[in-house]
Amino acid sequence: MKAALRRAALRALVLVVVSAAAALVVVCLPRLPNVATFVALCLLILAGSALSALHGTLYVRLAGFVISSVYVIVGRSTAIVISFVGAVLLLRRPVPWAKRVFSIATRVLSAAGGAVAYVALDGPVGPEVFDHIARALIAITATGLANQLVNASLMCAYMWLERGAEPVLAFLNDVVRPTAIPMLGYSYLSFMLAVMWLSGLWVFAALLVLVPLVVARWALAQDEAERNAQAATMRAFIQVIETKDYYTRGHSERVSRGVGMLGRHLRLAPDRQQALEHAGLLHDVGKVGVPTSVIRKPGKLDDSEWDAIRLHPARGVELIGDIPFLEEVKSAVLHHHEKYDGTGYPAGLSGTRIPYFARMLGIVDAFDCLTSTRSYRPARSVEETLAILIQDRDTHFDPDLVDAFVEVIRKDGWKAAAVEQPAPDATIQISIDHDDLSLGSGGGATGSAAGPAS
Amino acid sequence: MSQRIDSSEPRQLGSGTVIVAAGLVLSMVAVVLTAERHVTEWSFALVFGLLIAAGEMVQFRVDRVRNRAPIATSAALGYAMLRGPALLIPPDPAQILAVTAVATAVGIIPRVVAALPWDAVVSSRRVLSVGAAAATFSVITPRSMTWDGSWQHAFPLTGAMLVSILAAAAMDALVGAGQATERYNRPFPSALRDEAAVAARIGMAMGISGILLAAGTSLLGLWAPPLVVVPLLLTQFAFRRFANAQRTYRSTVRSMSRTTEVAGFSAPGQNLRTARLAVALGNDLGLTPKRMEALEYAALLSGVGQLALADPSPGGASLLRTRDERRKAAEIGAEVIERSGVLDHVAEIVRHSSDAYRDGRANNPDIPLESSIINVATAYEQLAGAGDRDSAATAMESISLGIADEFDPVVVESLRRVVGLGFRF
Repeated sequence: MKAALRRAALRALVLVVVSAAAALVVVCLPRLPNVATFVALCLLILAGSALSALHGTLYVRLAGFVISSVYVIVGRSTAIVISFVGAVLLLRRPVPWAKRVFSIATRVLSAAGGAVAYVALDGPVGPEVFDHIARALIAITATGLANQLVNASLMCAYMWLERGAEPVLAFLNDVVRPTAIPMLGYSYLSFMLAVMWLSGLWVFAALLVLVPLVVARWALAQDEAERNAQAATMRAFIQVIETKDYYTRGHSERVSRGVGMLGRHLRLAPDRQQALEHAGLLHDVGKVGVPTSVIRKPGKLDDSEWDAIRLHPARGVELIGDIPFLEEVKSAVLHHHEKYDGTGYPAGLSGTRIPYFARMLGIVDAFDCLTSTRSYRPARSVEETLAILIQDRDTHFDPDLVDAFVEVIRKDGWKAAAVEQPAPDATIQISIDHDDLSLGSGGGATGSAAGPAS
Repeated sequence: MSQRIDSSEPRQLGSGTVIVAAGLVLSMVAVVLTAERHVTEWSFALVFGLLIAAGEMVQFRVDRVRNRAPIATSAALGYAMLRGPALLIPPDPAQILAVTAVATAVGIIPRVVAALPWDAVVSSRRVLSVGAAAATFSVITPRSMTWDGSWQHAFPLTGAMLVSILAAAAMDALVGAGQATERYNRPFPSALRDEAAVAARIGMAMGISGILLAAGTSLLGLWAPPLVVVPLLLTQFAFRRFANAQRTYRSTVRSMSRTTEVAGFSAPGQNLRTARLAVALGNDLGLTPKRMEALEYAALLSGVGQLALADPSPGGASLLRTRDERRKAAEIGAEVIERSGVLDHVAEIVRHSSDAYRDGRANNPDIPLESSIINVATAYEQLAGAGDRDSAATAMESISLGIADEFDPVVVESLRRVVGLGFRF
């Protein structure tokens, strides 16, 4: 569809939806209940909307929640007017005016969709609900579905005309799908609100129904704060541990970012994605047990020094063992120096026997090492490093994961280590970083990445 | 690493045993009484019993020592406050307790079979507080009072339910505070204050859900329990997630504190021992849970500044170095902790944890008491911590020599009490 046509269609859609909503509200106005009930309902929905505005995602739920109960308490016309009152707060949103007006109208039409369903299924209104509980429940279920259906269709239509099919699919997938079932649950709770209202408690029924929701919301907010605190604390510690070696500063956070990119590309589930990023952040935590003199030593390491370095994955697992991470985090930290051909450490695993996360970590770890400055060589460019990864893709790494990683980096780019690192020391000729690809079984230069690029 | 910071062994006939015994006796009496009088309104007893059992089955750990089962608590409270028109004969307190007790036992069986953790004390506490709610509700609510759709009945009924859940909360807080006093030597008033703070949040959510369940069931019959499932599940889900995140965070801080041990700056277990003593002192001094948490973290992390120093000191004994060095390490440690951006209060404690009392708190009231606690705990741990380095008595003697000069007199007094009551590393 041509852009101009699309814009015209969008304008037409907004016009039609807004006028329909306005007409509906005007038609419903004369059928309002007594003033006290109406004012109480208005206050309730405004409180609901204001409360949910504080907490992002709960927005639709609390507002829609109150509206669903209005069908049962006083009937459809009031529900439509109340939905308009509740939506007025949407005017504060910092989006174009057309969008603000459209979303208000969407709320009104969604409420009307619910009203049609409630009336079509002969849902009882007022105290007669106590005699027809089953019918009321069927009607409230259909009302919830109709409300969501109208709301989602109008939103999709607007998004499609504005930005094409992709955001519509994302909206359906990320917003509609996960919230549909909980919303249905909430509509039963709003039925309880109506029942308690009609039992004689009137607007005070809302306190009983909303308090548990608000407390639960508080607990979820605390949960998020704890998670952020955990991430911040781990990052602070990693920074301290990295002060041991000027050249690896920021390495862990970059690896975490890198595996994060790779994980998103491979569409991991959210909890695994988070676990993967944690593993990236913590993979070298065991280095705190390697003497500083070994880490900073310029030149070839002797056997006992190598042993100290080879111990760091196990030390890391020992340190994080008590944290209730997914088991994958620990196995990734333990095996991030295994190589695909079985020449790595500590266990000499090969192929897909190396844990999945560890294979991912190994690639990003090596990549970040090569694109950073080392005491014995300058940083390599991203393209140069990708070429090295591809060259080593069958010996060191999981070939499929290398391909995926190369694709991600070429697509999204890479922010390499800052240049504030000390310049390489020209007098040092031997590769020493344990992450460098040149690290063979004995620590000598064996891989194609060994030696300064010439 | 199975050592736990608050692992005071339950003593013989400790408060836990008393609570469980009280719960058992009460349940037994209730079951016998109910068997004699026959159960009224079977279907309600069954549905609420199932809900309680299911809630008990999905209990989860809130903190290091406590399990919680919000769904079971709400369901039991709901069953305690039923009235007409749905029920012709509301259950009497004995039947309420009997149903709660039997359902709790049924819910625990699968956990025992699956070797999942379960908590007899928490279940018994629930039986006791449900008993309080049931007794209160039946005393203050005449049988003629039903949900007939009039506000003249609805408001008094709701008020009575609120009073009843307050009675349950008060009972639970008293029992919990008693337990905390006995187990951790906390002063009773501050333990009671902490329990009340818990009751005001999670307790309120559970109690209000119970009211909703009771009122809804009285009005709609057995249609109501499934309809109230949303707030019940939401409360359960939210608090479970919260509890998990909190546990993860605590163990992260503990693990990170061990970096100094792995790096050879402190002896194995040293940080954990210092933290255990600091926590015992904090309990004795009645600090709020928030301050207790900061104290524990600060004690665990007080050594991290050493990571930035060049060489480990032998055996990790910070006492062996000069005061200036220790203060420098504390300053660096505070900076490291501040870098996380979320532990500023902990950093402040660590910053002053190596100050001598005369240079610090004696003249500067802004320095937190927690710093003095850590100062004393670190010193005592170094004297008596690793086995037979020094006996507790000699260590106490050395610490006493430093009163008012090196160490805060208030904290040393507390240490004397804590050690006198049997604290050992």
